[in-house]
Amino acid sequence: MSDTRTVETSGADIEEAIELGLEQLGVSRESVVVEVLEEPSRGLLGIGARRARVRLSTAAPPRSAKPEKPAPPPAAQLARRPARSEPREQPAEDITPVSEADMDDDAKVGLATLQELLDKMHITADVLVYQAEPAEGEETPWVLQIRGNDLGMLIGRRGETLSALQYITRLIASRELQRRANIVLDVEGYKARREQMLRRLAARMADQAIQLGRTVSLEPMSPYERRIVHLALRDHPDVITQSVGEGNHRKVTIVPNSR
Amino acid sequence: MKELIEYISKSLVDDPSQVNVSEIARGLTVTLELEVAPEDMGRVIGKNGRVANAMRILLRVVAAKQGKRINLEIL
Repeated sequence: MSDTRTVETSGADIEEAIELGLEQLGVSRESVVVEVLEEPSRGLLGIGARRARVRLSTAAPPRSAKPEKPAPPPAAQLARRPARSEPREQPAEDITPVSEADMDDDAKVGLATLQELLDKMHITADVLVYQAEPAEGEETPWVLQIRGNDLGMLIGRRGETLSALQYITRLIASRELQRRANIVLDVEGYKARREQMLRRLAARMADQAIQLGRTVSLEPMSPYERRIVHLALRDHPDVITQSVGEGNHRKVTIVPNSR
Repeated sequence: MKELIEYISKSLVDDPSQVNVSEIARGLTVTLELEVAPEDMGRVIGKNGRVANAMRILLRVVAAKQGKRINLEIL
Protein backbone atom coordinates (compact mmCIF):
# COMPACT_ATOMS: atom_id res chain seq x y z
CA MET A 1 0.00 0.00 0.00
CA SER A 2 2.64 2.47 1.04
CA ASP A 3 4.94 1.13 -1.60
CA THR A 4 5.52 4.39 -3.38
CA ARG A 5 7.87 4.38 -6.31
CA THR A 6 8.90 7.50 -8.13
CA VAL A 7 10.56 8.12 -11.44
CA GLU A 8 11.50 11.30 -13.24
CA THR A 9 11.47 11.25 -16.99
CA SER A 10 11.72 13.71 -19.79
CA GLY A 11 10.38 13.76 -23.31
CA ALA A 12 9.71 16.02 -26.22
CA ASP A 13 6.35 16.76 -24.68
CA ILE A 14 4.51 15.99 -21.48
CA GLU A 15 2.67 13.04 -22.93
CA GLU A 16 5.85 11.40 -24.07
CA ALA A 17 7.54 11.96 -20.73
CA ILE A 18 4.58 10.40 -18.90
CA GLU A 19 4.51 7.47 -21.26
CA LEU A 20 8.19 6.79 -20.67
CA GLY A 21 7.69 6.96 -16.93
CA LEU A 22 4.77 4.54 -17.08
CA GLU A 23 6.93 2.15 -19.04
CA GLN A 24 9.66 2.32 -16.46
CA LEU A 25 7.25 1.74 -13.61
CA GLY A 26 5.26 -0.82 -15.54
CA VAL A 27 1.99 0.59 -14.31
CA SER A 28 -1.04 2.17 -15.91
CA ARG A 29 -1.84 5.85 -16.18
CA GLU A 30 -4.53 5.53 -13.54
CA SER A 31 -2.24 4.43 -10.78
CA VAL A 32 0.23 7.29 -10.79
CA VAL A 33 0.27 10.89 -9.74
CA VAL A 34 1.92 13.12 -12.29
CA GLU A 35 3.80 16.25 -11.43
CA VAL A 36 4.98 18.42 -14.26
CA LEU A 37 8.46 19.57 -13.34
CA GLU A 38 9.15 21.46 -16.49
CA GLU A 39 6.93 22.47 -19.37
CA PRO A 40 8.41 21.79 -22.75
CA SER A 41 9.20 24.68 -24.98
CA ARG A 42 10.00 24.50 -28.61
CA GLY A 43 12.42 27.35 -28.60
CA LEU A 44 12.91 29.25 -31.79
CA LEU A 45 13.85 27.06 -34.72
CA GLY A 46 14.97 24.46 -32.26
CA ILE A 47 17.24 26.85 -30.42
CA GLY A 48 16.60 26.95 -26.73
CA ALA A 49 14.19 24.06 -26.95
CA ARG A 50 13.47 22.53 -23.58
CA ARG A 51 12.23 19.03 -22.98
CA ALA A 52 9.28 18.28 -20.77
CA ARG A 53 10.12 16.77 -17.40
CA VAL A 54 7.67 14.98 -15.18
CA ARG A 55 7.74 13.03 -11.95
CA LEU A 56 5.49 10.03 -11.57
CA SER A 57 4.71 8.50 -8.21
CA THR A 58 2.83 5.32 -7.68
CA ALA A 59 0.80 6.69 -4.83
CA ALA A 60 -2.19 4.53 -5.42
CA PRO A 61 -2.34 0.92 -4.27
CA PRO A 62 -1.51 -1.72 -6.87
CA ARG A 63 -4.16 -2.24 -9.45
CA SER A 64 -5.52 -5.40 -7.93
CA ALA A 65 -6.93 -3.23 -5.16
CA LYS A 66 -8.35 -0.81 -7.65
CA PRO A 67 -11.97 -0.35 -6.46
CA GLU A 68 -10.76 1.23 -3.25
CA LYS A 69 -8.49 3.69 -4.99
CA PRO A 70 -8.91 7.14 -3.55
CA ALA A 71 -9.49 9.79 -6.14
CA PRO A 72 -6.09 11.26 -6.89
CA PRO A 73 -5.84 14.86 -5.87
CA PRO A 74 -6.92 16.58 -9.04
CA ALA A 75 -4.75 19.57 -8.35
CA ALA A 76 -1.60 17.51 -8.37
CA GLN A 77 -2.51 15.24 -11.17
CA LEU A 78 -4.08 17.53 -13.66
CA ALA A 79 -3.01 20.97 -12.62
CA ARG A 80 -1.02 21.82 -15.69
CA ARG A 81 -2.53 19.53 -18.18
CA PRO A 82 -5.00 21.04 -20.56
CA ALA A 83 -8.51 19.88 -19.82
CA ARG A 84 -9.13 17.29 -22.46
CA SER A 85 -11.92 14.86 -22.49
CA GLU A 86 -9.53 12.01 -22.21
CA PRO A 87 -11.25 8.69 -22.32
CA ARG A 88 -10.29 6.85 -19.14
CA GLU A 89 -9.92 3.81 -21.14
CA GLN A 90 -8.66 0.66 -19.53
CA PRO A 91 -8.49 -1.66 -22.46
CA ALA A 92 -8.18 -4.92 -20.67
CA GLU A 93 -11.14 -4.30 -18.40
CA ASP A 94 -14.09 -4.37 -20.73
CA ILE A 95 -12.92 -7.25 -22.83
CA THR A 96 -14.11 -10.79 -22.53
CA PRO A 97 -11.34 -13.32 -22.54
CA VAL A 98 -12.26 -16.43 -24.42
CA SER A 99 -11.85 -19.88 -22.96
CA GLU A 100 -9.61 -22.42 -24.56
CA ALA A 101 -12.60 -24.19 -26.09
CA ASP A 102 -13.47 -21.14 -28.16
CA MET A 103 -9.98 -20.54 -29.51
CA ASP A 104 -8.97 -21.45 -33.00
CA ASP A 105 -5.57 -22.91 -33.83
CA ASP A 106 -3.91 -19.52 -34.15
CA ALA A 107 -4.91 -18.56 -30.63
CA LYS A 108 -4.08 -21.93 -29.13
CA VAL A 109 -0.68 -22.26 -30.73
CA GLY A 110 0.13 -18.62 -30.06
CA LEU A 111 -0.83 -18.92 -26.42
CA ALA A 112 1.14 -22.11 -25.89
CA THR A 113 4.21 -20.58 -27.55
CA LEU A 114 4.00 -17.40 -25.52
CA GLN A 115 3.56 -19.29 -22.26
CA GLU A 116 6.58 -21.40 -23.06
CA LEU A 117 8.65 -18.28 -23.77
CA LEU A 118 7.53 -16.49 -20.60
CA ASP A 119 8.29 -19.60 -18.61
CA LYS A 120 11.81 -19.83 -20.05
CA MET A 121 12.28 -16.14 -19.29
CA HIS A 122 11.24 -16.81 -15.67
CA ILE A 123 8.38 -14.36 -15.91
CA THR A 124 5.23 -14.96 -13.95
CA ALA A 125 2.26 -13.49 -15.72
CA ASP A 126 -1.24 -14.27 -16.87
CA VAL A 127 -2.15 -14.23 -20.51
CA LEU A 128 -5.67 -13.23 -21.50
CA VAL A 129 -6.75 -14.14 -24.98
CA TYR A 130 -9.44 -12.23 -26.80
CA GLN A 131 -10.42 -11.08 -30.23
CA ALA A 132 -9.45 -7.53 -31.15
CA GLU A 133 -12.08 -4.97 -32.00
CA PRO A 134 -12.96 -5.44 -35.62
CA ALA A 135 -11.30 -2.68 -37.60
CA GLU A 136 -12.59 -1.54 -40.95
CA GLY A 137 -11.97 -4.09 -43.63
CA GLU A 138 -9.33 -6.11 -41.83
CA GLU A 139 -9.28 -9.51 -40.28
CA THR A 140 -9.32 -9.16 -36.53
CA PRO A 141 -6.31 -10.65 -34.83
CA TRP A 142 -6.23 -12.52 -31.55
CA VAL A 143 -4.79 -10.43 -28.78
CA LEU A 144 -2.58 -12.16 -26.25
CA GLN A 145 -2.70 -9.71 -23.39
CA ILE A 146 0.03 -10.30 -20.80
CA ARG A 147 -0.87 -9.18 -17.31
CA GLY A 148 0.98 -9.27 -14.06
CA ASN A 149 3.05 -7.23 -11.68
CA ASP A 150 6.07 -5.25 -12.69
CA LEU A 151 5.98 -6.05 -16.36
CA GLY A 152 7.58 -2.78 -17.48
CA MET A 153 10.71 -4.65 -18.47
CA LEU A 154 8.61 -6.75 -20.83
CA ILE A 155 7.67 -3.60 -22.70
CA GLY A 156 11.12 -2.05 -22.83
CA ARG A 157 12.16 1.26 -24.20
CA ARG A 158 9.59 2.37 -26.74
CA GLY A 159 8.10 -1.09 -26.69
CA GLU A 160 11.29 -2.68 -27.99
CA THR A 161 11.08 -5.79 -25.82
CA LEU A 162 7.39 -6.25 -26.54
CA SER A 163 8.15 -6.09 -30.28
CA ALA A 164 10.88 -8.70 -29.95
CA LEU A 165 8.61 -10.99 -27.95
CA GLN A 166 5.82 -10.61 -30.47
CA TYR A 167 8.18 -11.24 -33.36
CA ILE A 168 9.55 -14.46 -31.87
CA THR A 169 6.14 -15.71 -30.74
CA ARG A 170 4.66 -15.15 -34.19
CA LEU A 171 7.64 -16.71 -35.90
CA ILE A 172 7.43 -19.89 -33.86
CA ALA A 173 3.64 -20.09 -34.01
CA SER A 174 3.58 -19.45 -37.75
CA ARG A 175 6.10 -22.17 -38.31
CA GLU A 176 4.00 -24.62 -36.39
CA LEU A 177 0.82 -23.57 -38.17
CA GLN A 178 2.60 -23.40 -41.52
CA ARG A 179 0.93 -20.08 -42.22
CA ARG A 180 0.99 -16.61 -40.76
CA ALA A 181 -0.31 -16.72 -37.18
CA ASN A 182 -2.99 -14.11 -36.74
CA ILE A 183 -1.94 -12.92 -33.30
CA VAL A 184 -0.67 -9.77 -31.64
CA LEU A 185 0.85 -9.37 -28.19
CA ASP A 186 0.34 -6.67 -25.65
CA VAL A 187 1.49 -6.04 -22.10
CA GLU A 188 -0.83 -4.37 -19.63
CA GLY A 189 -2.66 -2.47 -22.36
CA TYR A 190 0.53 -0.73 -23.46
CA LYS A 191 -0.40 -0.63 -27.12
CA ALA A 192 -3.77 0.98 -26.49
CA ARG A 193 -2.14 3.65 -24.31
CA ARG A 194 0.55 4.23 -26.89
CA GLU A 195 -2.05 4.53 -29.61
CA GLN A 196 -3.93 7.18 -27.65
CA MET A 197 -0.71 9.06 -27.16
CA LEU A 198 0.21 8.87 -30.82
CA ARG A 199 -3.19 10.15 -31.87
CA ARG A 200 -2.87 13.14 -29.59
CA LEU A 201 0.65 13.72 -30.79
CA ALA A 202 -0.53 13.54 -34.39
CA ALA A 203 -3.26 16.09 -33.79
CA ARG A 204 -0.88 18.46 -32.04
CA MET A 205 1.82 18.19 -34.66
CA ALA A 206 -0.75 18.74 -37.40
CA ASP A 207 -1.76 21.99 -35.71
CA GLN A 208 1.86 22.93 -35.51
CA ALA A 209 2.48 22.21 -39.18
CA ILE A 210 -0.47 24.38 -40.14
CA GLN A 211 0.57 27.16 -37.82
CA LEU A 212 4.16 27.20 -39.02
CA GLY A 213 3.17 26.63 -42.59
CA ARG A 214 5.86 24.03 -43.04
CA THR A 215 6.48 20.31 -42.86
CA VAL A 216 6.86 18.82 -39.41
CA SER A 217 8.64 15.49 -38.87
CA LEU A 218 7.98 13.08 -36.03
CA GLU A 219 10.45 10.75 -34.39
CA PRO A 220 11.31 7.53 -36.21
CA MET A 221 8.68 4.89 -35.49
CA SER A 222 7.80 1.31 -36.29
CA PRO A 223 5.48 0.59 -39.22
CA TYR A 224 2.67 -0.13 -36.79
CA GLU A 225 3.09 3.21 -35.07
CA ARG A 226 3.46 5.17 -38.28
CA ARG A 227 0.26 3.61 -39.45
CA ILE A 228 -1.56 4.90 -36.38
CA VAL A 229 -0.38 8.42 -37.17
CA HIS A 230 -1.33 8.16 -40.84
CA LEU A 231 -4.79 6.90 -39.94
CA ALA A 232 -5.27 9.55 -37.27
CA LEU A 233 -4.70 12.31 -39.81
CA ARG A 234 -6.21 10.61 -42.83
CA ASP A 235 -9.34 12.72 -42.75
CA HIS A 236 -7.68 15.92 -41.65
CA PRO A 237 -8.61 18.55 -44.22
CA ASP A 238 -5.49 20.69 -43.93
CA VAL A 239 -2.56 18.30 -43.81
CA ILE A 240 -1.26 15.25 -45.58
CA THR A 241 1.11 12.71 -44.07
CA GLN A 242 4.00 10.91 -45.63
CA SER A 243 6.62 8.48 -44.38
CA VAL A 244 10.20 9.25 -45.33
CA GLY A 245 13.55 7.61 -44.62
CA GLU A 246 14.70 4.05 -44.63
CA GLY A 247 14.49 1.17 -42.21
CA ASN A 248 14.74 2.11 -38.56
CA HIS A 249 14.96 5.77 -39.43
CA ARG A 250 11.68 5.91 -41.27
CA LYS A 251 9.42 8.57 -39.85
CA VAL A 252 6.17 10.34 -40.53
CA THR A 253 6.17 13.87 -41.87
CA ILE A 254 3.12 16.09 -41.70
CA VAL A 255 2.78 18.49 -44.59
CA PRO A 256 0.33 21.39 -44.52
CA ASN A 257 -1.93 21.45 -47.55
CA SER A 258 -0.89 24.08 -49.99
CA ARG A 259 -4.10 24.61 -51.71
CA MET B 1 18.89 -18.19 -20.31
CA LYS B 2 20.26 -21.20 -22.06
CA GLU B 3 16.83 -22.85 -22.05
CA LEU B 4 15.27 -19.78 -23.67
CA ILE B 5 17.70 -19.83 -26.60
CA GLU B 6 17.42 -23.59 -26.90
CA TYR B 7 13.65 -23.41 -27.07
CA ILE B 8 13.58 -20.62 -29.64
CA SER B 9 16.27 -22.17 -31.82
CA LYS B 10 14.84 -25.66 -31.77
CA SER B 11 11.44 -24.28 -32.71
CA LEU B 12 12.83 -22.46 -35.73
CA VAL B 13 15.32 -24.80 -37.32
CA ASP B 14 14.78 -27.77 -39.60
CA ASP B 15 17.13 -29.96 -37.64
CA PRO B 16 16.62 -29.47 -33.88
CA SER B 17 18.99 -32.33 -33.04
CA GLN B 18 21.91 -30.19 -34.18
CA VAL B 19 21.07 -27.27 -31.89
CA ASN B 20 23.59 -26.83 -29.14
CA VAL B 21 23.85 -23.99 -26.67
CA SER B 22 26.72 -23.62 -24.25
CA GLU B 23 26.92 -21.13 -21.47
CA ILE B 24 30.23 -19.56 -20.47
CA ALA B 25 30.24 -17.35 -17.40
CA ARG B 26 33.01 -14.84 -16.74
CA GLY B 27 32.19 -12.81 -13.68
CA LEU B 28 28.92 -11.07 -14.34
CA THR B 29 29.13 -11.55 -18.07
CA VAL B 30 27.58 -14.64 -19.56
CA THR B 31 28.30 -15.68 -23.11
CA LEU B 32 25.93 -18.03 -24.85
CA GLU B 33 27.28 -19.85 -27.86
CA LEU B 34 24.64 -21.15 -30.20
CA GLU B 35 25.46 -23.83 -32.74
CA VAL B 36 23.05 -25.04 -35.38
CA ALA B 37 23.33 -27.04 -38.59
CA PRO B 38 24.90 -24.91 -41.34
CA GLU B 39 21.67 -25.02 -43.35
CA ASP B 40 19.80 -23.60 -40.37
CA MET B 41 22.03 -20.59 -39.77
CA GLY B 42 19.68 -18.33 -41.67
CA ARG B 43 16.76 -19.27 -39.48
CA VAL B 44 18.36 -18.28 -36.20
CA ILE B 45 19.91 -15.14 -37.65
CA GLY B 46 17.04 -13.95 -39.80
CA LYS B 47 16.87 -11.23 -42.39
CA ASN B 48 19.21 -8.42 -41.32
CA GLY B 49 19.84 -10.36 -38.13
CA ARG B 50 16.31 -9.77 -36.95
CA VAL B 51 15.84 -13.10 -35.21
CA ALA B 52 19.23 -12.93 -33.51
CA ASN B 53 18.50 -9.39 -32.35
CA ALA B 54 15.12 -10.31 -30.97
CA MET B 55 16.71 -13.16 -29.04
CA ARG B 56 19.30 -10.76 -27.63
CA ILE B 57 16.60 -8.34 -26.51
CA LEU B 58 14.72 -11.09 -24.70
CA LEU B 59 17.93 -12.37 -23.13
CA ARG B 60 18.63 -8.90 -21.80
CA VAL B 61 15.41 -9.02 -19.77
CA VAL B 62 16.37 -12.29 -18.16
CA ALA B 63 19.95 -11.20 -17.56
CA ALA B 64 18.91 -7.86 -16.07
CA LYS B 65 16.80 -9.62 -13.47
CA GLN B 66 19.88 -11.54 -12.38
CA GLY B 67 22.10 -8.48 -12.53
CA LYS B 68 24.15 -9.90 -15.37
CA ARG B 69 25.29 -8.97 -18.81
CA ILE B 70 24.80 -11.34 -21.66
CA ASN B 71 26.29 -11.97 -25.08
CA LEU B 72 24.82 -14.25 -27.67
CA GLU B 73 27.18 -15.60 -30.27
CA ILE B 74 26.07 -17.69 -33.17
CA LEU B 75 28.82 -20.02 -34.28
